[in-house]
Amino acid sequence: MTGAVLDIERLRLEIDGAAVVDGLSLSVRQGEIVALVGESGCGKSLSAFAVLRLLPDAVTLAGGRILLEGRDLASLDLAAMAAVRGRDASIIFQEPTASLDPLMPVGEQIAEALTAHGVVAPRVAMQRAREMLVSIGISDPDRRLTQYPFELSGGMCQRIMIAIALICGPRLLIADEPTTALDVTIQAQILHLIRELVTARSTAVLLITHDMGVVADMADRVVVMYAGRVAETASAEAIFKAPLHPYTALLLASIPHAALAPKSRLATIEGTVPRPSSHGVGCRFASRCPLVEDKCRKETPPLVNHGDGHEAACWRSHDVGMLGVPA
Amino acid sequence: MPRYLASRLLQAILTTFGVMTIVFFVMRLSGDPVLLLVPEGATREHIDALRRELGFDQPIWRQYLTFLAGLLRFELGVSVVQRVPAWDILASRIPYTLALAGAALVVAIGLGVPAGVIMAVWRGRWFERPIAAIVVAGQSMPTFLTGILMIMLFAVTLRWLPSSGVDGPQSVIMPAIALGMLSMSTFARMARIAVVDELGKDYVRAGLARGLSPGKVVTRHVLRNASIPVVTIAALEIGNLLAGAIIVETVFAWPGIGQLAIQAIQSRDFLVVQAIVLFVSLVYVAVNLAADLLYAGIDPRIRFGRS
Repeated sequence: MTGAVLDIERLRLEIDGAAVVDGLSLSVRQGEIVALVGESGCGKSLSAFAVLRLLPDAVTLAGGRILLEGRDLASLDLAAMAAVRGRDASIIFQEPTASLDPLMPVGEQIAEALTAHGVVAPRVAMQRAREMLVSIGISDPDRRLTQYPFELSGGMCQRIMIAIALICGPRLLIADEPTTALDVTIQAQILHLIRELVTARSTAVLLITHDMGVVADMADRVVVMYAGRVAETASAEAIFKAPLHPYTALLLASIPHAALAPKSRLATIEGTVPRPSSHGVGCRFASRCPLVEDKCRKETPPLVNHGDGHEAACWRSHDVGMLGVPA
Repeated sequence: MPRYLASRLLQAILTTFGVMTIVFFVMRLSGDPVLLLVPEGATREHIDALRRELGFDQPIWRQYLTFLAGLLRFELGVSVVQRVPAWDILASRIPYTLALAGAALVVAIGLGVPAGVIMAVWRGRWFERPIAAIVVAGQSMPTFLTGILMIMLFAVTLRWLPSSGVDGPQSVIMPAIALGMLSMSTFARMARIAVVDELGKDYVRAGLARGLSPGKVVTRHVLRNASIPVVTIAALEIGNLLAGAIIVETVFAWPGIGQLAIQAIQSRDFLVVQAIVLFVSLVYVAVNLAADLLYAGIDPRIRFGRS
């Protein structure tokens, strides 16, 4: 796809030979926010780590290409990869406080992102770190720079992580559940900040989340993953209006909303994600799907384009409307 | 920070006081020193006269108060055996033990910590196994055995080093290795555990994510975080080195306080034993105090009084 900042092609990740991510393809264009959605264990965070080659030791990159502006990150060596990280592509994590070295003032850690790439001299780096804090609207930046992570709130630590991630002006930002660990009131502020910053810089964003509310707030496009595979991909608008995969439809149905009667039961999807080692043939959602039929258990549904880039991997896409989606 | 310091100092004083009290009473449970001092066949009057002269005829609580009063003036009394101040006897031995323990500490930390860091950072590589083998060997060999084996190899067979005593700076090499081996293994294991533990933390991944090389992440972030448990071990190990010195000084005829301690205990020279224990416990307390200050230097959370 032309104009894509990030283009993941048929990514395959394995743990002990079992595929935990199986044929993930997605692309993120300049200035676009793409949400990668799914429940715990579906492989979405591992896919995010794979882009920057930060996978845990147990997980291997077993196939596929990860093109960042045409350059395949999957084939880079350690040194070349270190040069990419933080400069061309950055990531912010789920646990902002734990992601900062507890023994180093945060200012030095921001400055490190610059000095690691030899962009500027250490003395200048601190000045740039200060400017970055000002630009993301942090008050009293001089004091913040000298503070340690334990002196800051989770929200403030995430702002510091955002400053670290964006200070070198990367083309791609990966946000791995950036607000999951934060208070609800802070979540909105952080999301707003991310959107504001990436819009101003035309940064491409891959947003990893399990929260359809966050998706609705932030995303231009959505990729829904289930058990290591793409279930559905579409514009955010289309996916909320007319999902074409039963998993997406049930995810949307499970969002609690204000119109719900008090004390009524929240909708859930019965069962759990199958283990990677137990994947057989057929659709992986078959065991939990209300629309399941014989064919689903025997043949793996391909990702089919239903027009306007709306793709779904389901034999019964046209019947998903029957499940009903809350408005 | 001043409060942290004050509370640590108070603890140090209390610890020293407690140790001295225990030693005072335990030594007096071990038997009557006067009987060992008098010549064989001494008369009852002679024994009583000596006992009076040395103050051992007083009730034990009064002896204890006299002892505490002496401590406050830093008077440790006079050796009942040699009839010279206990402190003078001790002072002549201290430099030897400090030299030995210091050299052993250099061996222990200088070899142990790098070995531990290497085993952690390159875990699973081929060279982790030989290093681990040396560490296990150091841990399982008793000090007296390593000492004697080294004497046989380097002094008797190869004639590179003096077998015992103090004869120039090279004399300290073998005793220091014998004494430092066990601590070296402890440092290696603790450093490995600490570094492996830190390497699994989120800030390591975040450091890589902002473009730091793995080496930079280790040197700039991991080592400092991993140093906190290692400092704890260092403080404890210095105590172990002083204890281990008793054996090593005997094996190598090293004229330090370990050797002195054995002689003084055998002759029930109470005041010298008390002086030795006071010195060792002061060293121990001072080292732990230094470790506490070092924590505060390393970790801002302690500096600012939060956990």
